[in-house]
Amino acid sequence: MSRSRLLPAGLSLFLLLTLAACGTRGEKSAAAGAAGPVKGGTLTFAVNTEPSTCLDPHQSPADVAGLFTRPALDSLVSLDAEGRIHPWLATKWTVSPDQKTYTFTLREGVKFSDGTPFDAAAVKANLDHIVAPATKSQLAAGYIEPYKGSEVTGPLTVKVHFGRPYSPFLSALATAYFGIESPRSLKQPQDALCKKVVGSGPFVIDEYVQQKSITYHRNPGYDWAPEGAGHTGPAYLDKLEIKVITEDSVRLGALTSGQVDGIASVPPVNVKQVRADPRLTVTTRQAPGGNYNYYPNTTSGPFADKRVREAFRDGIDFATIVRNLYFGAFQPAASPISPSTDGYDRTLEGRTEYDPAAAGRLLDEAGWSGRDAEGYRTKDGRRLTIRWGFLKAAAREQRDTLAEQIQAEAKKIGFDVQFVAGTVNEWLERYPKGDYDLVDFSWQRADGDTLRNLFGTSSIPTAAKFGQNAARLSDKDVDGWLSDALDTTDQAKRAELYAKVQQRVTGEAAVFPVYVFTYLLGASRKAHGIGWEPQAYPTFYDAWVEQA
Amino acid sequence: MTAVAVPAARTRARAARPALVRLGTSVMVLWGAVTVAFAGLHLTPGNVVDLLIGSSTVTPEVRARIVADYGLDRPLVVQYLTYLGRVLHGDLGQSYQLHQPVASAIGAQVGSSVQLMLSSFTLAVVVSVTVAVLTAGRRWARAVFSGIELVGVSIPSFWAGILLLTVFSFGLGLFPATGGDGPESLVLPSVAMAIPVVATLSQVLREGLELTLEEPFVLTARSRGMSDLGVRLRHALRHALIPAVTLAGWLVSYLFGGAVIIESVFSRQGIGRLTLAAVVNKDLPVVMGVVLIASLLYVVINILLDLLYLAVDPRLRGA
Repeated sequence: MSRSRLLPAGLSLFLLLTLAACGTRGEKSAAAGAAGPVKGGTLTFAVNTEPSTCLDPHQSPADVAGLFTRPALDSLVSLDAEGRIHPWLATKWTVSPDQKTYTFTLREGVKFSDGTPFDAAAVKANLDHIVAPATKSQLAAGYIEPYKGSEVTGPLTVKVHFGRPYSPFLSALATAYFGIESPRSLKQPQDALCKKVVGSGPFVIDEYVQQKSITYHRNPGYDWAPEGAGHTGPAYLDKLEIKVITEDSVRLGALTSGQVDGIASVPPVNVKQVRADPRLTVTTRQAPGGNYNYYPNTTSGPFADKRVREAFRDGIDFATIVRNLYFGAFQPAASPISPSTDGYDRTLEGRTEYDPAAAGRLLDEAGWSGRDAEGYRTKDGRRLTIRWGFLKAAAREQRDTLAEQIQAEAKKIGFDVQFVAGTVNEWLERYPKGDYDLVDFSWQRADGDTLRNLFGTSSIPTAAKFGQNAARLSDKDVDGWLSDALDTTDQAKRAELYAKVQQRVTGEAAVFPVYVFTYLLGASRKAHGIGWEPQAYPTFYDAWVEQA
Repeated sequence: MTAVAVPAARTRARAARPALVRLGTSVMVLWGAVTVAFAGLHLTPGNVVDLLIGSSTVTPEVRARIVADYGLDRPLVVQYLTYLGRVLHGDLGQSYQLHQPVASAIGAQVGSSVQLMLSSFTLAVVVSVTVAVLTAGRRWARAVFSGIELVGVSIPSFWAGILLLTVFSFGLGLFPATGGDGPESLVLPSVAMAIPVVATLSQVLREGLELTLEEPFVLTARSRGMSDLGVRLRHALRHALIPAVTLAGWLVSYLFGGAVIIESVFSRQGIGRLTLAAVVNKDLPVVMGVVLIASLLYVVINILLDLLYLAVDPRLRGA
């Protein structure tokens, strides 16, 4: 049930909260001192996972395809850490009064690295490519479901039509999944795009070798950096290499021995060690979208009773378990979505409290008052059993250890938690039928509309359509607020609506928030200017390395 | 003329029959392997299209397109026969996940695996022959090396790999941590992969050597004034090789399996990681392609081993 992305992290709660806001820049520029950016050189970065199925972010089901193609692809707009949209390949845009049509004015003089000029037809070709059934898009197309079509109204103006008002469009457009590829390259067969992607970005892809690495060289003619970037003109680095090192300890060793300049996913247990090394730094970024949460099945089994759900949430000390297991690297979650998501409701923090005695009373009230020989609660002779669809094979960041600790804690208040997912195949048959009591996963997306993925009636999984509403919650109010939020591009109004949704679903205990997914980036102090994109992936346009 | 020709033809026929039987059984082995792999993957619960889509939300049109593109709507028997037919024409099909033909997916990875297997195999043979020849029948050296071999057989190659990396790459900086660039990146993975092989092979060789060294002909050779090392190399080793050659069959399967772990630890490209990913993702065509290649290799190795027996032991040639 988990996405293909791995995002471990590590840092004390304190540092994490302060750093998340100011990002890497402060720390990095302090280290850089007076010596400004140096042109040239190669930066080698190691990641733990690759989009082995397909590199093209329009098609790929792997969200890490965004990290791999971002250096080569620009987007129409960019998104900053505060959720504000900035011009990039589009210099300005307007939204029609009925909120169904977006009109973009495009930047002049932009060229793709294969020499093709960027124009309105290129934008249409890209959006049409994403939604075309032949593309079999498994991620990007899902973000613009109401897309009706694009209309080229001039060489540099394009209108994008939707079937209904759709406010998350711009933030989706800012992700690498909507990176603008050369229309000439898009004419190739889909399979060829899975190997090589051509865009207008600051780097040009040389070669992607599966299970090994992807290499890039600088695009010398680049002169259209997004607003808010650290500099303009071509990138500083001559070359960029992203290596795939799946083994945690090996990736860490490659960093500490200076064989690579930076790594993704420092194991939480090693964060202290890396920080203590004067040659290295660790920076963090909380990923936007759904936290790593547990979702109870609200339609059948013991969790259909709200009191039982509340008892499970309040009778287990989630926050302490998370802090101890991850050495403070991950913030315990309070809402279904992360603090870096636009529309996050901060007032939820500290609202639920660990209270096993109250949990016991709730269970008594719900009728689970008996006890059997092993100490589990019973009702009419049936044991209080929770069937958890936990996929061990897909577990990462010690989620399996975490699950076992939760299981042990649940036993103390009388729950018999059992892991029932079986193999991936078995689980994929079971999940759409709702044949489970509890499910766990995280769901990244740089928009509050994540809540519609997680709790909208339309995303309850069925045999015909996979969905993320694992709680199988169907609440008319929630659906109404989510739909209203789609209708307006007014950020304050959207935040208000999303706050209502968060309060309702936490009030109903339709979700047990666990921890906030945080990207933990380890880097040599000689590497500077590694930035972040909306999905909390590192970017390398402003990056440079000190020459020895 | 005819009187001479007839027996010659008969001899040839007599020689050809075992060869034909051999060829027949080889084909059966290959067919069996492919069939078992196909059945195994289809009999496990869950269907392929769910797996192809995974946790993504796709529209019903995209789903229908995927089903049609991969022919998943056809009956299993038809899918099986179509596959067999294509394999006979040398076409291994198209991968579900990798967006490329199976043959090119395997082709892209096989070189790096073969490099690794050959280098660790060579290393293992050289080291174990040396160790066995030098320690057989020598009390102290034997005791020390037996101990080392026991450790070598017992440690998991995953752990050995990490240990080698920690010392020689992260610590001393002598070799790169990740594989695939130049010969220096081949050293540590080859050593890690060779450790259990050396440990087993040298034990078997030494055992054989020690038995042989007690034979009367060794005494004869010594009495002719041959040096100890000469006796061991010229006479005893050849006898000790027979059981070791038999082990080579096991070795091939070990190297294939070990590749999965070693390639992951050293971030190397290769068949092992390709197979692992294909099995996890239920990428049927790739799994079956790898099974086919592996069983082909097995068949070829076994034929080569039979020939090697003849080369090592002249007594078998007349039979």
